Amino acid sequence: MRRKAKKQARRKPKRETRHFSAPAQLEPGAPSDLELMHSIQDQDPDALSQLYDRYNGILKALILRVIHNEAEADDLLQEIFMEIWNQARNFSAQKGKPLGWMVTLRKKQAYARAEQRLQSETEQQPDAWVHNATEEEIALSDTRFLIRKVINGLPPAQQQAIDLAFFRGMSQREIAAKTNTPLGTVKTRLELGLKKIYDGLKELKDEL
Amino acid sequence: MNFEKFQNQSRLYVIGALEPEEVEEFEKARKKFGPKAEDFIAKCYALHEAFALSLRPSKASAAIKERLMSMVRERKQA
Repeated sequence: MRRKAKKQARRKPKRETRHFSAPAQLEPGAPSDLELMHSIQDQDPDALSQLYDRYNGILKALILRVIHNEAEADDLLQEIFMEIWNQARNFSAQKGKPLGWMVTLRKKQAYARAEQRLQSETEQQPDAWVHNATEEEIALSDTRFLIRKVINGLPPAQQQAIDLAFFRGMSQREIAAKTNTPLGTVKTRLELGLKKIYDGLKELKDEL
Repeated sequence: MNFEKFQNQSRLYVIGALEPEEVEEFEKARKKFGPKAEDFIAKCYALHEAFALSLRPSKASAAIKERLMSMVRERKQA
């Protein structure tokens, strides 16, 4: 009996299709992201506190892709959540989900900050997105695992183009120069890569 | 621009990867396709979420949250 219980505990959990838009399992009765955004629009600090708890880790990881300094990333994270508070009235559910909107805010702020210190950044670039997807992924959550699976299915050149465009904010021309690739090829890589990710996510869940 | 091309351009647009000269043509197509275009662009923003969720979260220091919440409460009282 005991052996059977141990065996069950060791057994890997089934990988079912999950909602990639929900990074953390919400406790029953917990407000949705949208409800939190509406409360923030009504100037409720507790809602911002909850949103912070839910997404500070993800936003900081994104910031660190551009600003490669922990202390500065923390400062910028604080600025971004302040911006979420100040700009909440501009959020519209019709234009997308709260996380997508927050990621857009993060991009604007992080690139502005990165431009100011571009010179000192060049020596400290982290591994490219394409290189992140290795055995260290074992510890990833199911949601991340599924998204990673879609991304890892792309040829490395497409992953690299998307990494440089999305995480580093490079234009197609900048990517072409950096990778010594014709502009047309960069465009094709981005188009094909993004379409595959989009279609892959659609298969994961019929939400896109 | 046909709708398939517009869809490709939309995915580049949401991640900020359209070149300036492409944006003008994209905006024209966006007007041409109307609500159908807006729906598709909104769906493309889900790519942002997916990319964000593909990274391992990195915990911020507890002091940041305290500072943030105190700034927010001050702002609210002002």
